[in-house]
Amino acid sequence: MTVPLTGKLTEVFQFGSEKAGVLDISGKHWPAPGQYLACQNPADPSGALITPLFKVIGIHDRLCVSPLPARWQPGDVLVFQPPQGQGFTLPAHVRRMALFAFEVSPARLLTLIEIASTQNADIALFCEPAPSKDILLSIPSMIEIADSASLLGNLDWPEYLAIDLAWQDLDRLSALFGDQGSRLEGQVLLRTAMPCRGMGECGVCSVKTRRGWRFVCSHGPVFDLSEVLNVA
Amino acid sequence: MWLEDAERLRKQDLMLRLPMVNTAGTLGFAPNPRKMPFLDNLGAFITNPISRRRRAPAGNRCSLPFEGGFLLHTGLQNPGISRAITLHKARWAGAPLPVIVHLLVETPDTLAEMVRKLEGLENILAIELGLPPLCDPDTLSAFVEAAYGELPAIVCLGLEQTPALLDTLERLAPSAVHITPPRGALPEDDDRIISGRLFGPAIYPIMLHTISAVVKTGLPVISSGGVMTRQEVDALLHLGVMAVGLGSVLWHVDQGCLFVK
Repeated sequence: MTVPLTGKLTEVFQFGSEKAGVLDISGKHWPAPGQYLACQNPADPSGALITPLFKVIGIHDRLCVSPLPARWQPGDVLVFQPPQGQGFTLPAHVRRMALFAFEVSPARLLTLIEIASTQNADIALFCEPAPSKDILLSIPSMIEIADSASLLGNLDWPEYLAIDLAWQDLDRLSALFGDQGSRLEGQVLLRTAMPCRGMGECGVCSVKTRRGWRFVCSHGPVFDLSEVLNVA
Repeated sequence: MWLEDAERLRKQDLMLRLPMVNTAGTLGFAPNPRKMPFLDNLGAFITNPISRRRRAPAGNRCSLPFEGGFLLHTGLQNPGISRAITLHKARWAGAPLPVIVHLLVETPDTLAEMVRKLEGLENILAIELGLPPLCDPDTLSAFVEAAYGELPAIVCLGLEQTPALLDTLERLAPSAVHITPPRGALPEDDDRIISGRLFGPAIYPIMLHTISAVVKTGLPVISSGGVMTRQEVDALLHLGVMAVGLGSVLWHVDQGCLFVK
């Protein structure tokens, strides 16, 4: 039997609408933007489900993760699997990147800033609702921030669009973009429960794509926009 | 030494090498040793539920946590029996442990059709009959009759179905009875009531109480529901169950001492 990986939650804090924390683990186990760590907290007796934790923007050189369950505390030692799932893949040619947080915290999307900056891309963040003050403070000043209406008026600007939303809102997103959706280059991170973390094909996280039903836990959680937009 | 007639092994008897299995719906449609390092500890692999025709997931699929567990509502998405056989028969044949195929039962005729398709496939140990929620004793009899064939048939029923069907099961004497966690209901965020199968440690005391009555029938019993620790496994085995079914504990990152003998 393989020995599970462990790491300590060294800090826990409220970050926008979600509880986040600093997880002290080896850098080789840090999830890429959009990937997740399937975590379990032996100190939490209510933890019948595993918790998928995503990397969020935060303290430099430390792994900030979210969303933490309410009961998890600083000092808790988590057991976890190596990073799972397909994360964002920003094409090397991209010089204009838009991030769109659709009624969710933009904290996960903002981890793409570091990658986009290395290829000198201009970055704009579109949010609905506006980010909370603590998240605003963590966003570099070079990033433009605007509302979703501004994005809809400038859909020809981004060479790459990264979106974060709940899977139930895919139809609303398709309706929002209308016909322009089919021309967008980019990817979407789908938020949903993933109780079996890819072990059981339990179907809770099934999402309809152009290639048939796929599981967010194992085929995602990041999908190309062309795969999931306007799929009846 | 000759066995007495009454003790002679029937062709439909179910034999498990080890007294633990997974519950249908927890490990997918075929064993994957790379993802499932605990397979060596299981006596058989039970597939996800398979219906006669393809099933799409439920529109309102979800997992709802509650204190001590969670409710899973999925719609039992599956590719249908013919497609499932095409997709998985090679992995079933090459699996490191025998496979039990869980069938979603609709009518006796369609059940018989599904059973015939599985007969002759390599490494299939048994079929498991997933009963519909409102199954009555007469319907159960018809299902067991329809399932009779070359493969042992395990009748799989939810805890809440046990009182109404136990007498009939005793008379029918299937190869085994698999008692699984009960169905339940919880309100969603928008106050809609969602029904589904319950998982988690809160289920275990209820299961243990019911199983102690079921084993008295003399039927071979597999008990699933809420098992999280080795001590809970041992308590069930001590009661006389044939095997213990493991559910959501197999999704945990760390199963602790569950597999330590």
